[in-house]
Amino acid sequence: MTEYLIRRVLQSVLVIFLITILTFLLIHAAPGGPTQVMLAPGLTPEIFEQQAKNLGLDQPIHIQYFHWIGDLLQGDLGYTFKNHIAISDLLWPRIGNTVILMGAAWLVSLLIAIPWGIYNSTKVYGLSDQTASFISYLGFAMPTFWFGILLQQWLSLKLDWFPLSDMHTRGKEGSIADLFMHLVLPVTVLALGFLASYMKYARASMLEVLDQDYIRTARAKGVKERKVVFRHALRNALIPIITILGLDLPILVGGAALTENVFNWPGMGRWFVEMATAREYSALMAVTIVTAVMVVIGNLLADILYVVVDPRVKLGKQGGKAA
Amino acid sequence: MAKKRKWWSGLLVLSLVGVLFTGCSTNNTAGSSTSAPAATTAPAESTAPDATEAPSADVPVDGGTLVTSSFSDIVNINPLLVNDTASGDVAQFVFAKLYNLDREGNVQAEDWSLAAALPEISEDGLTYTVKLKDTAKWSDGQPVVADDVIYTVEMAKNKETGSPLISAFDKVKSVEKVDDHTVKITMSQVYAPFLYALVQEIVPAHVLKDVKPTEMQKNPYGTDPAKTVTSGPWKWTAWKQGESHTLDADPNYWGTVKPHIAQVIYKIYADQNTEVQAIMKGDTDHISAIPVTQVEAVKADGKIDIIQKPGAQYEYVNFNFDGKNFPDGYGLFQGQKTRQAIAHALNRQGMVDNILKGVGALMNAPFLPDTWADPGDAAVNYDYNAETAKKLLAEDGWVADAKDGILVKDGHRFSFELQYNAGNSRREQVAAVIQQNLKDVGIEVKPKAIDFAAWIDQNVTPGKYQALLLAWSLNTPDPDAESIFSSKYFPPAGQNSGWYKNEKLDKLWVDGYSTVDQAKRKEIYKEVGKEISTDLPYVFLYQYGQAIGTGPRVHWAEEDAPEPSLGYGQFFHAIKWWVTE
Repeated sequence: MTEYLIRRVLQSVLVIFLITILTFLLIHAAPGGPTQVMLAPGLTPEIFEQQAKNLGLDQPIHIQYFHWIGDLLQGDLGYTFKNHIAISDLLWPRIGNTVILMGAAWLVSLLIAIPWGIYNSTKVYGLSDQTASFISYLGFAMPTFWFGILLQQWLSLKLDWFPLSDMHTRGKEGSIADLFMHLVLPVTVLALGFLASYMKYARASMLEVLDQDYIRTARAKGVKERKVVFRHALRNALIPIITILGLDLPILVGGAALTENVFNWPGMGRWFVEMATAREYSALMAVTIVTAVMVVIGNLLADILYVVVDPRVKLGKQGGKAA
Repeated sequence: MAKKRKWWSGLLVLSLVGVLFTGCSTNNTAGSSTSAPAATTAPAESTAPDATEAPSADVPVDGGTLVTSSFSDIVNINPLLVNDTASGDVAQFVFAKLYNLDREGNVQAEDWSLAAALPEISEDGLTYTVKLKDTAKWSDGQPVVADDVIYTVEMAKNKETGSPLISAFDKVKSVEKVDDHTVKITMSQVYAPFLYALVQEIVPAHVLKDVKPTEMQKNPYGTDPAKTVTSGPWKWTAWKQGESHTLDADPNYWGTVKPHIAQVIYKIYADQNTEVQAIMKGDTDHISAIPVTQVEAVKADGKIDIIQKPGAQYEYVNFNFDGKNFPDGYGLFQGQKTRQAIAHALNRQGMVDNILKGVGALMNAPFLPDTWADPGDAAVNYDYNAETAKKLLAEDGWVADAKDGILVKDGHRFSFELQYNAGNSRREQVAAVIQQNLKDVGIEVKPKAIDFAAWIDQNVTPGKYQALLLAWSLNTPDPDAESIFSSKYFPPAGQNSGWYKNEKLDKLWVDGYSTVDQAKRKEIYKEVGKEISTDLPYVFLYQYGQAIGTGPRVHWAEEDAPEPSLGYGQFFHAIKWWVTE
């Protein structure tokens, strides 16, 4: 296990390194740069050039990359070009804000989706299953920004039950209750989207397992249905769900730009779009790194959880044989 | 001054919906009655505004917080580097300018200006003597002195700084200290727009004197509130990036007129739509741009007052005269009659009525209507007339192709690409109208929307396009537009990106800024208006603006109301505004 983990981590580092090179090239290949966006084109090109020179953007791309990776290895994510603000000062608070929002939405949706999906797998096409299907379709079909605006109009502007947007009311920055109130609407919007897919996965996965021979055998042997579902089926059904959850982990830090925009939530998704428009290379690279690391961690966690959930799964050692 | 113009589009590209404005204007003028719907539809806690708000609305009260907002954050508020609207907004509150503009756009030494009186301009128009008030102070208690002005001008004109102010100050030959509060600026040539360059914030020499020009951008002055020493009525206390700025009234502010409002919060919303929702909810008190699609909804809400008036910006279609941009090097817009035909073919009034919802003014020259340089009837007005257009095209040798009706001349089809920036819904609509209008006279237009940064880099700056749809935002009321239209400023040396050459105009622009005699200048710009509207490097479309919205808590006397026709006029005389709780 330890050897496997070390190998995986080393592989991941290499992958991340390659990703940085590729992303760096791609980002710099995009037309327009920080100075073009920063300066009104009503000015002479010499000013653009001077600005680029002052910012070190006139250097060859490989030199810029080495500077960047050198700083990164020392834990420095760099600075924004436009106003020379440390990326880490901008990035971490936003990741924190997004984790709060997305984490809450994720948790809410999981707590509802998994039990409900499992229940529905035992009562296929029942009222609960039909309701869940309807909610799933709604979740898939409804554009989040539209749903968000709808909730704002109705529950905030008209009924005045919840705050319209932002993360805090001015002057109540430390209040958990205030944060909770600000979370309700965006979490509802996001959770509906997550709920739809997780519920479908949970239901489908359970149905597949319940159809297996060993379940039939168990049932034939007279094992109680409750025991069949929870003892025999659930563990196996959770494996594909865990895979999905692992792969979805980067969403927790990546944010949902549209929802963050509608609710003016100061998170990563919104920031990433802003930075992309402004061609803030260092900021975009920082987001890439963080997301890539999260993808790797998500995958690793999924693999580890397999073992926890199903002890039959063994993480193969080098030279091991696949069963 | 042409060089101080900036591309409004840079801001607009960030917006989801084009910023337009409609209908009549109302405002929060003290004593003026609140509009009728307010009395009937306002929620309980703010009902009967006439009855409850009248006393406090009439009499300024001190204290309270004004929440104003934007949909983009600042870049840098160092006056040497300010070049975007949000940074300019915040700078308005925390920096005093040497001079200020009055509502008509005249340069004035106001109570809150750093200068004590209007500059003395020598008879030859070459020297400007600026006298500072001896009471003005920086927020760290140091006096504002001649050295600060000298430092600011020198840094602005130093190429190494990369300051956007360079175009306003590069004709300064020298700047000298006469005494601690007097500065003499000598020009290398007579340059009339320079007076407007003095409507400028200055930076503290005692804070920045050791910063190398090339390091200015990386210096925390302008990006760190704790290190940004200011001179205005409010101090920059806090910046939560991407969220808000806190500006607190400076208790040691030197001006004789003190601000009533104790605190200004400058909030940043993700986009205009979110901002509009916020003002309706009362989360913000003042927004500078309500999208045209939402103006009616905001009006119907009744709580928000809207000020609508054409602003200091105009939209145009720019023709490219460089044959290299066309197949076989055959420039489609070479013929003057062809360009005039296009002007006749476009239903500009229709655009104003239907897209700008009636608020906007047709333009025939690059001078805003009703300003002193407006040439009036001297400029040629092209009425919407497809028949005249067809006639002119025929006279210029264009013949309709038998197959599809598209015009052909010397074997070249009249088909071109019209570029504009993606994400600007107003421009999308206008492009569609242009496409249809020109199709009616046998010209094929292929509209193409491009990401702003990429567009500027690849097409606009190097002058590589066939035609484009864009706008200019005029930062000063001076009519000089040499850097846009003179052949001195072909790419890559300048912003005449359409490669337009007209020797008569080249000379007239120089004549225009080479005298400080206003009457003479007026005559010259009249001639410019006549020539440019005949020759048509652009089809000037219309002057447009934004709808400013303010909530019921904000008040001002009539003479201090926001003035949309001025750059940053949404905060005109904010020092005299007050808020009620």
